Formats: sequence, structure tokens, C-alpha cells
Amino acid sequence: MFRRILIANRGEIALRVIRTAREMGIECVAVYSDVDNEALHVRMAHQAVALGGTTPAESYLDQAKILAAAKATGAEAIHPGYGFLSENAKFAQAVTDAGLAWIGPPPGAITVMGDKIESRRAMNKAGVPTVPGLEDPVDDVEQAIRDAEGIGYPIAIKAAAGGGGKGIRVVRKPDEMASAFRTASGEALSSFGDGRLYLERYLDHPRHIEIQVMFDGHGNGVHYFERECSIQRRHQKLVEEAPSSAIDEATRAAMGEVALQAGRAVGYVGAGTVEFLWEDGEFFFLEMNTRLQVEHPITEMITGVDLVREQLRVAAGEELGYGQDSLHIHGHSIEVRINAEDPINGYLPSVGTLHNLRAPGGPWVRLDTGMYRGMEVGLAYDPMLGKLIVWGRDRAQAIERMIRAIQEMNVGGVMTSLPAALTVLEHERFRSGNYDTHFLESLTLAPPTEYRQIVAAAAAMHRHLLARRRALEPQAGARAAWLERGRRVSSAVRRAADGGPA
Amino acid sequence: MKYFVEMVGGTHEVELVERLGELIVKVDGEPMNFDYHEIDLLGQVVATHDGQSYALSVEGGKSKVRVTLAGHTYAMELEDERERAAHLAERAARGGGGPIKAVMPGIVVEYLVEVGAEVAEGQPLLILEAMKMQNEISAPGPGILAAIHVEAGATVAAGDKLVTLKGLETE
Repeated sequence: MFRRILIANRGEIALRVIRTAREMGIECVAVYSDVDNEALHVRMAHQAVALGGTTPAESYLDQAKILAAAKATGAEAIHPGYGFLSENAKFAQAVTDAGLAWIGPPPGAITVMGDKIESRRAMNKAGVPTVPGLEDPVDDVEQAIRDAEGIGYPIAIKAAAGGGGKGIRVVRKPDEMASAFRTASGEALSSFGDGRLYLERYLDHPRHIEIQVMFDGHGNGVHYFERECSIQRRHQKLVEEAPSSAIDEATRAAMGEVALQAGRAVGYVGAGTVEFLWEDGEFFFLEMNTRLQVEHPITEMITGVDLVREQLRVAAGEELGYGQDSLHIHGHSIEVRINAEDPINGYLPSVGTLHNLRAPGGPWVRLDTGMYRGMEVGLAYDPMLGKLIVWGRDRAQAIERMIRAIQEMNVGGVMTSLPAALTVLEHERFRSGNYDTHFLESLTLAPPTEYRQIVAAAAAMHRHLLARRRALEPQAGARAAWLERGRRVSSAVRRAADGGPA
Repeated sequence: MKYFVEMVGGTHEVELVERLGELIVKVDGEPMNFDYHEIDLLGQVVATHDGQSYALSVEGGKSKVRVTLAGHTYAMELEDERERAAHLAERAARGGGGPIKAVMPGIVVEYLVEVGAEVAEGQPLLILEAMKMQNEISAPGPGILAAIHVEAGATVAAGDKLVTLKGLETE
């Protein structure tokens, strides 16, 4: 096992890795930018190396600086966390070339899975189901109608050069094809300068279900079942749960096997996540995330496996040492992301100083966060401040526990996504388990009305006490007294001059 | 002292009267059995109302106060009677227009409307990028874009004036 590792990340994920490494007796080297010099990952590591700079490019993305820090401290391996350099194949290669271990998959696997077209080709070849569609653009409406028969309606017409939802048209019947094709082509041409279109099956109400996999370097692989991440907005996940309430035991086993197949097809080693879209019993490969994911703790909660420990063991060359048969789902887990944003105000980013923090506690409540009192939440980095995770004997208990934990928690100084998560958890539709990826965006968010009078009274009291404290501040008080004396004297003088009683 | 407390969904009138060292609280004219105790000066507060206990977090200054209760955060704006009168007069004088300020620091990506153009309520005026996210800033009411104060591409701090809207003539 490694004696010392460097963690090329910040925030809660850096802490997450440090915690397991410490439990394993491994020393940790943190790296940090100028803005992060007080951060928790710096304080909790054994050593910390200043990278300088404030932007990610000057710090956590600067490959040369990170490699130099590893060399200088004698670190034997680099854990990239998620984001930053975690899915950078060149960096993975540079780490290996420097004689260090890369706690992640081989560069080749990162490259293939990082490319939408290449990964789709590789998956088709490996027999992994992808969303039915054509790899090549269609020429005209007649061909589109012919091809659509083979794919199955509804059909999404997408711009070949597209992105961001532009140029997408949904066609539900063949006779809608002509006009949709024309407008999509025009929009693609004006938006991207490229009118080529391709066809894909359109999933009306998909659910996002992903499988956690782990491979060692000796040809062994297991999956730790699924996570359901359909509560999302603009592809940003907010609430995740495991297991999913949409799939049965047979589907679970099939998806797990397919995920392992996907990993094997690219020679995968380490932790990874195979994301699927699921709809009405069918599932299709979406992409593979070649790193540890934000929502990995819910998998840890239901399997009892420390995924970071497994990552470190595998990267050090150890065998997994167990098979699929020894893994079981126990209970239910939910995670909620704490983002610095204001969900009621269109999820606008929120900045400020965390002057007041109240963390939840109690049984089966876990808080993974880099937050501390006095922390400045700025715009330089990702708005995710942390994650709240709970475990329950079953789904209903996990939901109640998460609601209770959110109600205990307070992050003072910024607005957070917690109220949005709370609204989801209390919603009948979420509780029924029957929801899809459009659910969060369809919600109207507002605080409950029953406490309006209480919070209004509290706000007024706050202002009243604030004003009183200011008046009582020593200097202000002395000045007020001095002015008051002056007024009394001058009015006495005036009254005396007027001939009245002094 | 009377305060007007504005939050999403409406405004409440809160009256605080000190009588014989006791503070009497009235909300929307109704006396309220309300006790408010600051635990620390960082925002932890315990309040009681009719025998029920509430763990609150209260933060902010004189006019903007946020209260968090049971997982929900209520953002409120407070005015006393004098401030309310002044603000009402100011709003009337502007005819619904006025400056639009950045609510957060960021970069102005682009303007979607030109100076002199008439805009409808809710119409996006510009895109402000913050935390790698692009946010549309919309017109709070109908009007004419009278001025643009910062160039596209410029960095702004929270509170900086972005554009000025002139209210539509109502006569």
C-alpha cells in the first residue's frame, strides 16, 4: 500500500479521500490555491503545498505544479477526486510517466469514454444498448421517414453539430416529419452553420439510473448496484437515491452485467460509473464517468463498501478479493447536494461568508462538506458546498430521516439548494417513486405559508435588537449622551434667556 | 415601531411596542404571544409562540433579513413607516423604471436589448455569468431601456448598476 498520496483537488471530495487514507495509515498531501489557504482540506492533510494563483487554471488545473508538488513531497500516487483533472487522459499519462500511480482508470479508457461518438461506437460493438438511432446524418425527409420506421417513434431530430437543445425537434408521427425536418435543418444551419441532422429515439419521460463499477488490475470486476439520479435541473443533479424504485431485481442484474461489459470493453481499472437512461423497462447507455462521483456515498451506505478504500487498494495493485455474490443491498440511502444558489430565484448563484453553520446529527446521518464557519463562498469554484446523506431501513424511512436532517441544518450567509430538496422530498410524486428527469423543473418552489407570521415577527425583532445594540455600543452611547447633555444645557440657557423657569 | 415585512407572497405589518419593559408584538394587527431569544450574535435564535418552540437562524442587516426555519429560508425586506413613505414616493416618481443592479458578482456576457428599445415585463435584458453559469437578467416591469452602464465583457460586483429602465408614461 502507498505510504503517501497527493490529492489534486479541494473541498469536500479532498476531505473524503483524506479521511479514508488516514484510516488506512496513508499520509496525505493537499494542494491549494491562494483563496483556499484556510480550507479544511489544507488543515486536515498531513502536508499542504501552495500552488498559488486564484483561478482553477493557475492552481488545481496546473499539471506541472501538481506533479512538482508530488515529487517534492515524495507522494507515490495522485488521487484526482472529481472535476478538475480527474477525466484528463493526458494528465493521467503524465502521472504514470512520472513514475507515480494514478488513482483512476487507464488514459485509454478515459479517452474513449470522453468522446460521445467514439464511446457510442465502442458500446455498440460491445453489445451495450445505446439509444436507438443512426451514427450517420440523414440526407432528406424521405430517408428520414424510412429510417424512423426502424428506430421507432417518437423520434428526436438533432443537429449533427448541435448542443444545448438547439435544433432538436420531436416527431411523434410520420406525417409530422416533413415540417419538423425543415425547421430543424434551418435552425441547425443558422445556429451552427451546419444543417446536417441525425435521428434518435426520443425518450419522453426517462429516468437517470447509473451503475457503480469497480475493476482491479487482475481482470476482476464487480458492480455495487445502481443509483437513481433523476432529480436534476439542466443536467445538474440535486437529489440521488439508491436503490432505484423503478427497476426490479432482474433489470438490476441485467444493468449491472451490461455496465461491467462496458467497462471491460475499454480495459477499465478502478472506480467508474456507467450512466443509463431508463424508460418503460428499456435502458440505454448514456455515458461512462471515469472517476469517483459526487453521489458515491449512497452506494457506500447501502453496500457497506468504502469506495475510496477500494480505489486505493486497486491502484496499489491489490486484487478486489471478493465477487459479485458477496455484495448485497441493505436498506435505502438518499443524498442531497448543498449548492450555494437560490432555488426560489431561478437558482441564481449565491455568495457570502458562512458566519453561521448548524450541522444536523443523529443516527445514520452523514455530512460530507468542506464548509467551516468564516468560509468565503465566492465565484471562483463550483457552487457545491457539500452533501447530506442519510440511510434508512427502507425508502420511506430514509425520506423521513432526510427531511428531519434538512430541517435541523442551517447554512447562514448564503442561500442554498436545501429548500428545493426539501420540497422534492415532501412531494407526493417523489414519495410515490414515480418521477422522471423533468420532475424538478416542473416544481414551483415557495416556502410554506403557515410560518409567515412567525418569520415576519422574527425579522422585525432582529431589526429592533440590531438597532438597540447599535445604540448601546460604547462609543455611540457616549456620543449620544454628550449630545443629550448639550441639548439640555442649551435649552436651559434658552429658557433662562426667555425669562422662563430654568 | 411599525415595520412592513415584504416576502414572496405578500407583505406583513409587524408592530413592536415597549410597555413596562415588555415588548408587545402585533402581526397584521393581531397581538401575538411571541418570545424571541438570541442564543449567540451569529444568528442562532430560539423563538416561542403559543407554547411552540422554533429554532431559527436569522441573518442580515436593517432592511434585508433572511430567516431559516425548518429547512426553508424566507428572504424578507423590511421598511419602517418613514422608509416606506420615502420608497413609495420614489417609485411613483420613477413610474416603475429605475436602475437594475447586479445581484451577484459576475461578468456581463452580452446585452439582449439595445438602448431605446421597449421591453416587456420579464423580458431578458442581458446575460450575467457567475460561477460558470449563465443567468438571464429580466426586466422587472415594462419600460424603455434608457441606459447601459457597463460594457459587455466587463466584470461587475454585486450592487453595480447594469442598466437603467425608464418606466412607460402612464398618462
